[in-house]
Amino acid sequence: MTAKIPPLDIPRRPRGRWKPWAALGVIALITAITMSPQWGVAFAFDAIARNWQNGAEKVLQLLQPDWAFWPRTIAPLLETLQMAVIATAVGAAVSLPFSLWAATLTNPDRVSRGIVRTALNVVRSVPDLLYASVLVAMVGVGALPGIIALVLFNVGIIVKLVSEAIESNDAGPLEAGRAAGGSQLQVNRAVALPDVWPSFINQTLYVFELNVRASTVLGLVGAGGLGLLIDAVRTYYRYDQLSLIILEILVIVVVIDVVSSAIRKRLV
Amino acid sequence: MSVIAPSPPAVTAPPKPRNRILTVSAVVVTAVVLASFWSVDVTWSRLIDLPAEVARYLWLMFSNPTWEKLPEALAQTWKSVAMAWVGTVLGIIVATPLSFLASRGFGPAPVRWALRGVFSVIRAVPEIIIAIVILSVTGLTPLTGALALAINGVGTLGKWGYESIEGVPNGPIEAARAAGGSTAQVLRWGVWPSATPEFLSFWLYRFEINVRSSAVLGLIGVGGIGDMLTSYTQYREWSTVGMLLIVVVVVTMSIDAVSAAIRRRITEGARAR
Repeated sequence: MTAKIPPLDIPRRPRGRWKPWAALGVIALITAITMSPQWGVAFAFDAIARNWQNGAEKVLQLLQPDWAFWPRTIAPLLETLQMAVIATAVGAAVSLPFSLWAATLTNPDRVSRGIVRTALNVVRSVPDLLYASVLVAMVGVGALPGIIALVLFNVGIIVKLVSEAIESNDAGPLEAGRAAGGSQLQVNRAVALPDVWPSFINQTLYVFELNVRASTVLGLVGAGGLGLLIDAVRTYYRYDQLSLIILEILVIVVVIDVVSSAIRKRLV
Repeated sequence: MSVIAPSPPAVTAPPKPRNRILTVSAVVVTAVVLASFWSVDVTWSRLIDLPAEVARYLWLMFSNPTWEKLPEALAQTWKSVAMAWVGTVLGIIVATPLSFLASRGFGPAPVRWALRGVFSVIRAVPEIIIAIVILSVTGLTPLTGALALAINGVGTLGKWGYESIEGVPNGPIEAARAAGGSTAQVLRWGVWPSATPEFLSFWLYRFEINVRSSAVLGLIGVGGIGDMLTSYTQYREWSTVGMLLIVVVVVTMSIDAVSAAIRRRITEGARAR
């Protein structure tokens, strides 16, 4: 006779296993609604099939960049970079006081802090291109509306990231400064600012990367730079020229990303 | 003659630390910024009456927003949000398997590097340009917007995906492998449980990004709130533009708030009550 094996004691399955499935069901339902023809994004496969020939031609054009177009892209390219540089400089300069203003450690006053944070949340929730398109109607076509749009966009991002960095800093030095009799302004100037510096420069470089990318398309709404050219070649369906512009954007964005992330890595 | 007490030795402060690289880079940066200011084609004198102008337009926009067009605005917003959602879902479906292939330990090296290259190229191109390229096939429809967002999403989701897969602790993976699991089983039982919170969290974050971008994509005519905003800006109907901006801000902020709350719940778990 064989010895009896004691029954294996398997713990009960944890409860609540239906929850992920319920979540998945909700997601599937929303997806179905958003993809239904009458309620959301219609998938018109017949139109795609009809346009396929046309599209394939365009893609072929994209693969053969028109190198002779290069001289005409230099000036807009420069303007794009100028816009990015200026917007980063102005945005960073404006952001520094606001960052100190928006952090608990450097601004204990709840009311003014709340006002600054709310205002910046509102500013941040409008995309840069929408700012640009409204500003173009206000101040006219050119680099200026582009720069203002980028500055607004930058202040929102830098202040959020830098004030979060301040919050995560050690409160000790600030208390020491206050104990030594410094006013809030003096403490911020002498203690908080040196602490903030690396993260501030880090975020400024990050925003510069974003600006280079964003400034290439701001011209689509008339705000100067490469985008103006993109808009022009797209109305004539010159996809060979468009492809050269895309290549240039790629090169610039990648070069600036590599340089700036190398600097940022050294900073932190 | 009185005796003068010996004066205390003069205190000499140590020289201030100097950092040559820092000085040089500060000079270079200043020079570049000044050169850009000087050379850019902007009449800076226009800045003087800019505040008054902006105030005037803000008054035009927000003193009396046209609320009669609110239903149409909300319908267009829904279209934009639907575009963002479809773009996010399609991006996730394509990017998740690719991010497994692009992570160390799962994809073969050539595939890994090729995929990483593709991800970074996609990330460098603004989504509005992707939309311009693919609209020759799909036409000026919301579908174009959704596809552009999906393609752009593959770049970011793919990158975040392989980064978080590589950040998964090795123990469970080794255990799954030691128990004889195939690669798929290792992924399912070794990687997926630890990576899920991060994946869910950046999927939601990508949806937030897409909500913003979908408004922008309207500018080239694929429909949605951006489309409506550009047309009314061009008609210079400022009171409607003001109403549309309010709608954009409110919708974006509330979607962000909901999504951030869900993300916090996912990454931090339920709080004890």
